[in-house]
Amino acid sequence: MLPGNTSDTVRQYFSYLIRHPAFLGALIGVLAAFSQALLISAGGPEAYGFCVACHTRDLVNGMTNIIAGTSLALAPISGNSVLPVMSVGGVLIGAYLSARMYREHKVKRGGLKDYAVYFLGGFIVLQLAMIFGGCPYRAALRTGYGDITALVFIITMAAGVIVGTLLMLRRAQEEEA
Amino acid sequence: MATGILPTEVAVYAVPLVTILLGILIGFLAQRSGYCSIGGFRDYVLFRHTRLLSGYLTLIVASFFGYLLFWFLAPAAMEHFFWALTRDPMSPVPGAPGGLVPVAYLLISVITGFFVGFICVLLGGCPIRQTVMASEGNYKAAFFFLGMCIGSIIFAAYVSGWFTIFMRSIGFGG
Repeated sequence: MLPGNTSDTVRQYFSYLIRHPAFLGALIGVLAAFSQALLISAGGPEAYGFCVACHTRDLVNGMTNIIAGTSLALAPISGNSVLPVMSVGGVLIGAYLSARMYREHKVKRGGLKDYAVYFLGGFIVLQLAMIFGGCPYRAALRTGYGDITALVFIITMAAGVIVGTLLMLRRAQEEEA
Repeated sequence: MATGILPTEVAVYAVPLVTILLGILIGFLAQRSGYCSIGGFRDYVLFRHTRLLSGYLTLIVASFFGYLLFWFLAPAAMEHFFWALTRDPMSPVPGAPGGLVPVAYLLISVITGFFVGFICVLLGGCPIRQTVMASEGNYKAAFFFLGMCIGSIIFAAYVSGWFTIFMRSIGFGG
């Protein structure tokens, strides 16, 4: 095979790989374990490498504590460090860079009612996630760490998704009829 | 107290730096692949598509092997791996409101899990997908993210305390 073809093939495989969710899943799993091995001296909890809900809580409450001098609760790892965990900020930046780079950045507006529904949805999902102690991602990490309650969470989450999907399906069929 | 590879004095500076780099990498790839945990189950139910679902299931398996790997490499950092064997199997890894009886945590997992799945599928994505869509310029997802931000202050200031009082009052206090 010619060298040019080889590099094309490698590039194709690479492009396929970074577009596949399973690759990202494997990456998050290993990197979360790595970041715990690296950073756990700063404070707990365990299996805390990546979590959208908890890290949003830490980022918002940590920055509010620093700026406004309040003492809102956050995880020890963020409370002990000079700045709280920044992964959600990183996700926003990374996704923005990717969307810009591949020309997928598109402004989509909705009605005032949509905004209210989504705001309320985010609010409620965060309360539920905080009561459980993690979003779907930390639930997966906790399951990998050996936490049975997190496995129960994932199973009932799948049940909730199925019920929600069937509800949407029925509503769509009623609109058609 | 678990000790990681980095000593405490270095780790307190490394935390924001390492997590922001991790976040940028995850955000970039999540935008590329349309990664979503809730969407995985939804696509499977609707179309029998396994692409997104494979991402979430891989995460569970990979995190187990990742923790296993670093348990060999840095055992002091993985103090309670494997949780179900080193601790009471029904107790959760800390992060949730503490001081409740084990059965309460099981009940919490069932109820919160169901409603997180239900609400997120109606709004079209799990928290990470909403965050990525907000970065792509979707205003509705941005309001979801804003709801999470305001929600975290309200949770820490009020809901957390109310919840503990409520659980104790119905007899789940440990």
